[in-house]
Amino acid sequence: MEFGWSEEDRRYRRELIAFVEEALPETWSELSADGPGSDAQAEFSYEFAGKLAERGWLTQHWPSEYGGGDATAWRHIVLSEEMWARGEPRGPQYMNVNWIGPTIMQYGTEEQKAHHLPLISSGQVLWCQGFSEPEAGSDLVALRTLALRDGDDYVVNGSKIWTSYANNAQYCFLLVRTDPESQRHRGISVLLMPMDLPGIEVREIPAVVGDRYFHEVFLTDVRVPIGCLLGPEHEGWSIVSYALQYERVGAPRYARAAKTLDEIAEHARERGLLDDLRIQERLGEARALCEAARVLTYRVVDQRAHGLPPTPDSNVARVAGTRADRAIAELALQVHGADALEYGGFADKNFRMAMTAGVAVGTTEIQLGLIASRALGLPKG
Amino acid sequence: MDFELGDEQRAILEAVQTLLARRAGAKRAIELARKTEYDFELEEALISAGFAELMNGGETGPLEAVLVVEACAAAAGTVASMASLLVVPAVLRHEPSTPVALASGDVAAPIRFAAQARTVLVDRGEEAELMALDAGDAMPVPSNFGYPMGRLKSVRGEGLGIGSGSKLRRWWRLGIAAEAVGTMQSALQCTLDYLKTRKQFGRAIGSFQTVQHRLADCHVLVEGSRWLTYEAAWLGAPEEAVAAAAAQSMLAASQVFNETHQLSGAIGYTREHDLHVWSMRLQALRLELGGVSAHHLALSKARWQAGAIS
Repeated sequence: MEFGWSEEDRRYRRELIAFVEEALPETWSELSADGPGSDAQAEFSYEFAGKLAERGWLTQHWPSEYGGGDATAWRHIVLSEEMWARGEPRGPQYMNVNWIGPTIMQYGTEEQKAHHLPLISSGQVLWCQGFSEPEAGSDLVALRTLALRDGDDYVVNGSKIWTSYANNAQYCFLLVRTDPESQRHRGISVLLMPMDLPGIEVREIPAVVGDRYFHEVFLTDVRVPIGCLLGPEHEGWSIVSYALQYERVGAPRYARAAKTLDEIAEHARERGLLDDLRIQERLGEARALCEAARVLTYRVVDQRAHGLPPTPDSNVARVAGTRADRAIAELALQVHGADALEYGGFADKNFRMAMTAGVAVGTTEIQLGLIASRALGLPKG
Repeated sequence: MDFELGDEQRAILEAVQTLLARRAGAKRAIELARKTEYDFELEEALISAGFAELMNGGETGPLEAVLVVEACAAAAGTVASMASLLVVPAVLRHEPSTPVALASGDVAAPIRFAAQARTVLVDRGEEAELMALDAGDAMPVPSNFGYPMGRLKSVRGEGLGIGSGSKLRRWWRLGIAAEAVGTMQSALQCTLDYLKTRKQFGRAIGSFQTVQHRLADCHVLVEGSRWLTYEAAWLGAPEEAVAAAAAQSMLAASQVFNETHQLSGAIGYTREHDLHVWSMRLQALRLELGGVSAHHLALSKARWQAGAIS
């Protein structure tokens, strides 16, 4: 057991920070006001992810046979931390490199790999994730969107909801029921669906957390070629489980929270609040939460670096991250006072980002349930 | 970075766990607590097995010492393991008479192990003080909080130099975190074992979702404390890292205390059930070295140079 960064990884972080500071425009703060799903950030992501790709950094943790650099999971978390700390200049593309690409590598056909992986590793494609449905949220296996074989196509009918990035995505990682007689986990499949097919309608759901954040995707007689099926038909659930393990710690929210907290402390100093013992205590408490989320995420990265199978530690890290995010978002409101009430300001922006932490990627309750059964061995109800 | 135990770390842990399985445990802790006694035999066994040398060993250091302190706490050892294995080797050049008690703030208040201690290290702010104790220098104090407590009659120590105070506090904070992690782990395990078998409404209490979520959340807090503590130890106990580990551990300790007792029901208040052996100790740890507020303030000071606090 040891907790030091290698000299190589330290150097990489320094180079990366220097690159990002150069590559982000002066208007970045306004450009990123509505988060990775906004049109502005999606558009910017092509330019930015393209530059990362040129340096071999976008998919450095992928195997070299798929255009990666065989870098360790540690190297990739350095990249993820520095990206999230700055409001994710890769836009929605962080999903591509974290779990969509690796899942295609694991389950895709040669054609699928040859088509999708170069698009992702060059930073020139946006994906969205078609999981939740109006009647299948936390209970994801209740999904009803139906894909029935008809000749060389699946005919897809149904709808998806809360779909971030659907407004700009070229592809959707879509969960469907391919066996209409099936129940629950059985009979689910994954389709890599192009978003420009006839019959797909994307509608924005206005939300307090930001513009263009959520969408509903309506699918009416969409003909998806059977070549878009990922992995075996009817066995999509194991593919989803594989993908989710990557997704839960894919976005190191603590990195953003830690940077926000440093900025809160600076602001408190400028306002003369840093001598206030109550503020000092709140800052210290929030910092400890943030540090706990970091080290718990590193625990999961370490398991990945050792090539170990997934454990409930990814759920643990997620719950800790949510706790840190919330503490810091509230502290930002407290320290900034009424100034926080203006839309687009520092505290407001962070508050909106933090709000979704306990629901996105599986609610805190789902995470706690998985910890209870898989880590604590508590019996089923 | 490597979160897996190395071969030597694994061997050290196995060795101490074997020793503790024979000489410590809830039953022994209850027996000693009844008489407000100290476990001199366990301390002697730990020292003669070489565990006090881990801290300044060639191939071992603070992380290995922390793993042993945590294991002693998990086994409810009634010994000043943190002082002997971690703080003393870090702060003093010589080996003082044991047991060693640690004091700060109001030195007239009850202090863990003071009645049996032969040496006291006192946090005096900038400077730490070392004081040898003779028979009659401290009086036992009855306490419900799981450790033998004592009150010092007077304090007349020898100063260890400017800067020794902060050094003492850093290693003490790390020790508090390490003891809390082991103690919480056992409190939680004791509760889990009970809730998996105890039935109400025709099913195991541990199968109810409300109960599961609350225990799972405790697990999240304990694991965060654990890894922050190991990391802080490996880094050599820098102020910011130890304050974060202690702050997180004390937050976790509060929640673990409340939840394990709430979910165990009335049996948890009795001396027939083992929970109190660990749970009550958590509250004593929460008061040490200024408590959770002091850890938060120390963290703010280390991170942002906030305020003027010692």
